[in-house]
Amino acid sequence: MALLLPPGLTPSETAFLCEMEMVTVIPRQRLEGLNLLGGPTPPLNPPYRTPLPLWLALLLKRQRRANILPPPWLSPHSLTAILDLEKSSPSFSPLPTLPAHTTTSPPFLPSATADAPPDALPYHWLELGEMLLEAASDDIAEPDTVRRLMRDLREVRMAKMRAGVGVLEGGQEVNMNGVGGMEVAEGRAFILGVVDGLRKIGASKEMSRREREAEERENGIMGGEEDEEDDMDM
Amino acid sequence: MATVTQQRIRGRPAHPSGPTFLTYTPNGKQLVTAGSNNVVRVYETGSDGEPTNLDDCQENNTAIAATNDFFLTGSEDGTVCMYSLHTFTYEKMLTRCTLPIRDIALSPDGQWAAVASDELEVKIVNITDTYRVLYLRDLPKPVKHLSYDPSGTYIAASCTDGIIYIYSLSTEEPDLIRKVDGLIRSLETESVSSSRAAWHPDGRAFAAPTATRDIQVLSSGDGERQRAFSGGHIGDITALAWSPNGAMLLTASSDRNIVLWDTKTQKILARYEYPNVINIAWHPYENIVSLVTSDGELFIYTKFLQPEVVPLLEKTLQPAPFIRDPLAETSGNARKPLTNGVKDNADPRGRRRGTPDSLDEILGPALCDEGDDFVSDDDGAGYLDEVNGHGKRGNAHLDAIDIFDGKRRATYQAFQPTIHHSFQPGSTPWRGNRKYLCLNLTGFVWTVDQDTHHTVTVEFYDREFHRDFHFTDPYLYDKACLNENGTLFSCSPANGNPAMVFYRPHETWTTRADWRTQLPAGEDVTSISLSDSYVVVTTSADYVRVFTLYGTPFRVYRQKSSPTVTCASWRDYVLTMGNGPVGGDGSTKLLYTIENIKRDEICQSEDIVALTEGAKVKSVFFSDDGDPCIYDSTGVLLILQHWRSPGQARWVPVLDTKQLDRLASGKKEESYWPVAVAHEKFHCIILKGGDQYPYFPKPLLSEFDFKIPCQTFTPPEDAENPTALEGPKLEESFVRSSLMLSLLEDLVSSTNATHSQRTELSRREIGVDKALLQLLNVECREGEERGMKALEIVELMRDRSGKMVEAAGKVAGRYGRTVLQEKIAELAEKRLMGIEDEG
Repeated sequence: MALLLPPGLTPSETAFLCEMEMVTVIPRQRLEGLNLLGGPTPPLNPPYRTPLPLWLALLLKRQRRANILPPPWLSPHSLTAILDLEKSSPSFSPLPTLPAHTTTSPPFLPSATADAPPDALPYHWLELGEMLLEAASDDIAEPDTVRRLMRDLREVRMAKMRAGVGVLEGGQEVNMNGVGGMEVAEGRAFILGVVDGLRKIGASKEMSRREREAEERENGIMGGEEDEEDDMDM
Repeated sequence: MATVTQQRIRGRPAHPSGPTFLTYTPNGKQLVTAGSNNVVRVYETGSDGEPTNLDDCQENNTAIAATNDFFLTGSEDGTVCMYSLHTFTYEKMLTRCTLPIRDIALSPDGQWAAVASDELEVKIVNITDTYRVLYLRDLPKPVKHLSYDPSGTYIAASCTDGIIYIYSLSTEEPDLIRKVDGLIRSLETESVSSSRAAWHPDGRAFAAPTATRDIQVLSSGDGERQRAFSGGHIGDITALAWSPNGAMLLTASSDRNIVLWDTKTQKILARYEYPNVINIAWHPYENIVSLVTSDGELFIYTKFLQPEVVPLLEKTLQPAPFIRDPLAETSGNARKPLTNGVKDNADPRGRRRGTPDSLDEILGPALCDEGDDFVSDDDGAGYLDEVNGHGKRGNAHLDAIDIFDGKRRATYQAFQPTIHHSFQPGSTPWRGNRKYLCLNLTGFVWTVDQDTHHTVTVEFYDREFHRDFHFTDPYLYDKACLNENGTLFSCSPANGNPAMVFYRPHETWTTRADWRTQLPAGEDVTSISLSDSYVVVTTSADYVRVFTLYGTPFRVYRQKSSPTVTCASWRDYVLTMGNGPVGGDGSTKLLYTIENIKRDEICQSEDIVALTEGAKVKSVFFSDDGDPCIYDSTGVLLILQHWRSPGQARWVPVLDTKQLDRLASGKKEESYWPVAVAHEKFHCIILKGGDQYPYFPKPLLSEFDFKIPCQTFTPPEDAENPTALEGPKLEESFVRSSLMLSLLEDLVSSTNATHSQRTELSRREIGVDKALLQLLNVECREGEERGMKALEIVELMRDRSGKMVEAAGKVAGRYGRTVLQEKIAELAEKRLMGIEDEG
């Protein structure tokens, strides 16, 4: 049976990838370092802060073995500032400038640890924020405000995405710098649909234009012979 | 306490029945009343004659306030009018609101009038220039009562949504600094019941009626609930007023009773039966209380207080009823320090808290001297309190203390040095009824004052390794230490019991392992510390008492520098601090001694703790590698280097918290409360705003990397070039890694180093050279002309194998610095031959 999946990553796949992001935890009990396939984890020793992948942090949090330190951008103050920036400019707020790192792929970027820059949304902001709000809302200051601000941000950015699609018609480009992973995954179906639709419309237009051009050219070249041809056909 | 049935004083029909208000002028000469008719009456104190009437005022007055020269009335038609007390005529309309006025409060200096109406904002109008108006905004509902604190810096607005909003008026725009929720009831503005916040005349606390008909005192500094006056009324409280010296509180209620409370004990002194009293005012200095009822009658009680209570009124300013009065103790430590009245001027609140004498001692003579200018605040008297009696002079209550200090310095010329007071590292002073006894990386110990006893809770960060515990403590422990093995407590002598030390191990294989020991009578504990092997107690008799972990007294000796300040310990090493000789700035030098108890060796004897002028040590502790660290009041963390060899020790700054990147924006105002140094990081608690100490709920620990203050990195204007910052950063990293290396070298050379320590040592050695190599890289990139410095950097390399120098040669070669490369090769050769002169 053929699996009918849309092209690209689905939102749940994006969320799964996001679980490889690093977060900072404050362990509440000791744990030796684990040698995992994805690499060794640092030993946990309360109350020292330790960076852990999100999936492990969530696991420990659910078992009440650790507290997650929310990244600095997930605070009401930072989110309000970012929201103001989003509202005031037509483009998306820029991605954080992260220190040069050995790995260049999104997993294991220190974008959600306790020393992440507080003034920019990282690539996985939406899914990470949602996951933290769901699993570790008691570790986040003013979770309700944060939830509301996240919702606001999401709506503002979605509106921008939709507004950007409107430009596509004119054959222009949309600057998607700063769009998060989940937003891409969510918007993909819609944007692809629009682009595809536009392409179809454009293709038929193009086709008819070409035909007309070809016709005109033909007409131009053999302008006077038309009648003769007709005659000949006759 | 008995119901006082004094001879019935005839009520004077002042106004028709309805809400009636009264106030004394600050000098106490006149009493002004206003009611629902259009007449304001002014009664002369001491004269039984007819009052002076001001006719043709506004009707339905709802508020009144007076100074010595004028009074203000507010009325339901929304106007606030000003009348002269000299000519008894209308002067001007101060302001007008669209809705009825509800309360007027005059600032203590009589320059500003705060006006609450049914509108959603409170106006504060300047008396002389009525166009200058400040607004208290962000109020969700109308304000029912307003009251200025005795210094005029804060104003408390009791809002009809049941919240008291406290604004600071010291800034240009009034600043909402505190919301007190759940204290007062939400009352309608027309309600006869009161929700007024009445400031205690000492300005540190205010009282407000609660829903349970009690009067709760709340400290204004931290918003903590203090003592309550409870069980006096069975009806809603309609008015409350502190006596001018704060020694008594008078409350009226709709249960036809007036109750006189003693501030100190919160007991009822007397109960008077008078119905329908809606406002009360104390005379600013005489034994007179005036009341108005909702029938519009005025009662002026001369000799209000019974003879046995009168002495209370004659006392000087009494402190507000705190559960733990911060003035009565010196930051939670028992030792009564010497003082010469010089106070830390950095923070006014801190200054007051640090005052070692009790408030009345300080204010006593000053008040006698000043006679009529006695702080005669009838704050909280019904609706008219804020006309309080500071007059023009005592506008700042805090100033009075300073003035007095000046005087005392003038009178007693005898010089007394400022000493460093003793403290327990990791503890906080009482706030409300709680305090942290110990906060460190193992866990935290806190205690709650339950009046007759304390309850102590010990919580750990590692929930699995240790179990939290909690016990009732009849001995009132006030100091504690916590580590992996056990908890140590100590208490001060009390109720005829001597001071005591109590150790409780966390794990035991016998039935009973905890022990207590009593110190000789008269000796108090000044600080305690606990290491893996010893218990150290410093006492007020300047003894250092060392016990083993199971309570065997091991050593007792007298500390050379005294009075003792504090102690800390790590394994067999004990660090004690004491006050040494007086230095040039008039304060004593802080001296420390480090000794090894087991080997009976003194590592550092009476060496100086390097502090800048006027700085204090905030905390002292050993790092996890066993190096002594101090954190001082200037926000610098210092670590002691080479402390194992006598005479070699020096204090090296490893972090200046004032230069942290997070403060660079200049927007944040925060301070750091030191907890520990571990894993080459500074662990601390970030305190926001003006807080001095952590409080509940349990604060989060933060950690900062070390950063030796070498030079300020000013970010270059062209952010394009991030490499410009690299040089200074690497230089700092070189200094820091050299320091860390030398600390570890000292440790390894003096102990039986483990294998991991030796690996760590070589790792750090390489780390130093690596920093140098990176620095060389930067220098080479900068250009040929930096060659001299580049060579110097190579000379600084300490590597034994010669590989680093070789690598340095390669770096130089890569950048095409051939001359430099040759010189480096020469150097490498010299080193190899071992003929480099060691200077």
